[in-house]
Amino acid sequence: MAVIDRNGPIANSWVHLADDAQPAKGQSVIVSFARLKNEHNSLFSASTAVGVEVVGDVVLEDLEPFLPRLGIIVVRMPNMRDGRIFSTGRLLREKYAYKGELRAIGDFIPDQARFLLRCGFDSFEVGDAFPVDSLKQAVATYSVWYQRATDRGATIIDQRTSGVS
Amino acid sequence: MYIYDKYDQTIARERVTEFTQQVKRRLAGELSEDQFRPLRLMNGLYLQLHAYMLRVAIPYGTLSAKQLRKLADIAEKYDRGYGHFTTRQNIQYNWIKLDQVPELLAELATVEMHANQTSGNCIRNVTADQFAGVAGDEVEDPRIVSEIIRQWSTFHPEFSFLPRKFKFAVTGAPKDRAAIQYHDIGIHIVKNEAGEIGYAVYVGGGMGRTPVVAPLINAFVPKAELLSYLEACLRVYNRYGRRDNIFKARIKILVRDLGPGEYKRQVEEEWQRIRGTGIDIPPEEEARIRSFFKPPQYETIAEPVHSFVEAQAKNRSFARWVETNVHPHKVPGYGAVTISLKPIGGIPGDASTDQMRAIADLAEKYSLSELRVTHVQNLVLPNVRQADLHAVWQRLREIGFAEANIGLVTDIIACPGLDYCSLANARSIPVSQRISERFADLDKQHHIGPLQIKISGCINACGHHHAGHIGILGVDKAGQEFYQLTLGGAGDETASIGQLLGPGFSSDDVVGAIEKVIDTYLGLREKPSETFIEAYRRVGPVPFKESLYGGH
Repeated sequence: MAVIDRNGPIANSWVHLADDAQPAKGQSVIVSFARLKNEHNSLFSASTAVGVEVVGDVVLEDLEPFLPRLGIIVVRMPNMRDGRIFSTGRLLREKYAYKGELRAIGDFIPDQARFLLRCGFDSFEVGDAFPVDSLKQAVATYSVWYQRATDRGATIIDQRTSGVS
Repeated sequence: MYIYDKYDQTIARERVTEFTQQVKRRLAGELSEDQFRPLRLMNGLYLQLHAYMLRVAIPYGTLSAKQLRKLADIAEKYDRGYGHFTTRQNIQYNWIKLDQVPELLAELATVEMHANQTSGNCIRNVTADQFAGVAGDEVEDPRIVSEIIRQWSTFHPEFSFLPRKFKFAVTGAPKDRAAIQYHDIGIHIVKNEAGEIGYAVYVGGGMGRTPVVAPLINAFVPKAELLSYLEACLRVYNRYGRRDNIFKARIKILVRDLGPGEYKRQVEEEWQRIRGTGIDIPPEEEARIRSFFKPPQYETIAEPVHSFVEAQAKNRSFARWVETNVHPHKVPGYGAVTISLKPIGGIPGDASTDQMRAIADLAEKYSLSELRVTHVQNLVLPNVRQADLHAVWQRLREIGFAEANIGLVTDIIACPGLDYCSLANARSIPVSQRISERFADLDKQHHIGPLQIKISGCINACGHHHAGHIGILGVDKAGQEFYQLTLGGAGDETASIGQLLGPGFSSDDVVGAIEKVIDTYLGLREKPSETFIEAYRRVGPVPFKESLYGGH
């Protein structure tokens, strides 16, 4: 497994913790949502940092109380057609003002990275065979876009109406 | 017409680059067919029975003569010399080679065209009233908001992997020529009591195996806030639409399961949160897009136009064509011509390279270089001077597209069916050809009056059979093609779903069954002006069942 962002591999200190494993002292751990709900007090005191892994059907209202203390949220895409992840990202950022790292994991392909980035994601956890260069190329292909999303950079509409040329 | 600025051109160019790379990665084996499928579908590329089919978008059905000429060139260069206009106002080519697609897309981009989002589980090409801008009854030209939606929905980062496909239609007139209530979202441009323009939004209509006439979800969304409202509609669907069963994944199922009231409440809650957060376009951008659709420079022409009146008096064939194929224009002295792509015995919606070029010439010479595609698979010359109608008609006769049958029994919608489509259970085109031949007599067609026959080769209902006054559904019965009949469907402002009449008919018997249905209607109508659908709504299915199946 490797962790990448739009520019390629990045350092990663987060460890996925199995539900039956205990965190080592000072470890930054990613736990399941069920475990976070049950053990948040002990987890937050034992670990340096705590993150959670969720899927598209996560009830964001249930996650909300933990958001200020979470260092990372990993959203799993069970298959590349499951587009709930894009709404999950936007809502976490725009509705719940989540400020920590947002990472995608699962069955996405390089061409979807651009959309994930626009929906508030920062990083991607990928298998060793994942074509990182294709992701970088896919992200770099488009220089402009029409609609507002989580990334607040200038849209085409902004550029048109501000007379920027 | 809308003209691309440098940003639109950049997007179009970058899209060609992206898809070119995707094809390369597929051919190199980096992308599996499973991974490539959603990507090629989002570019309108289907693997059909014999070859790839490419669907090119014609946004809201508006086309320039120059663009049509390019479509003709593409038919000649990359296909077998013809194209097929569809019920979604697009054009399809049926014999495309994958490795030529990047080059083809680059050619399309030179005339500001693309194949973006013409398939796949994303927001599809927005369709609109084919008489946009020329119909006298419209509140506002629907192409303005259609173009706004086109841009907003292009490569939308959140809504490109929806549970299922998503179709918009817009009408600017009380007379619904865009079948808006059969769409995932139908938009009806309205004026409120204060005289302000806004949008009535219908959500959750559709055809397929579960036909639904969309309920009204919001009677008046203010003009300046449509996109944020649509974003709320789509977000609720993207999060909660079913993804476990492809047959239950359309938004119509979500709206039905939640109930329109609860769906509306969830949309409203989300909309209140996102209103005013920069999703909606500012008024100056709306004005910029509007400026492309301002009326062209029409001449001042006094009616009646004597040469036009005389030509009708002298020539009955011409007069009859005017009666069915020329729609009133809001400007005196003009008419909007519907070119019938339904010659007797022909394939509905097909046009050859030569025919497309001839029509492009007509548009340049007589219609201010503009054309429309209708959801009934015909073409429109929207701006023809009445004095020129006779010349247009003569030229259309030369190319075989002057059939005076618009809205009549031989103006049939048919999906590609088993001749092309890998989903189909039965052929559609040959049935439509045989019906057309059976009712070839124009006197008879005009005697029967307005009647829409729509044929689908499978339950996916691409031929809109649910909305046909007479709908024909092809089914597979023990390896044989059978055809079920539905009656009473309508796709206009009185939208209704056709009801199944009884057991299906074999391919040999189906045309005779249609004839019996029509004879029954002719026998029971109260007067010649009572149309088929009016008569059906008055008497119901029983007399038709009796004539088809006997009195049991």
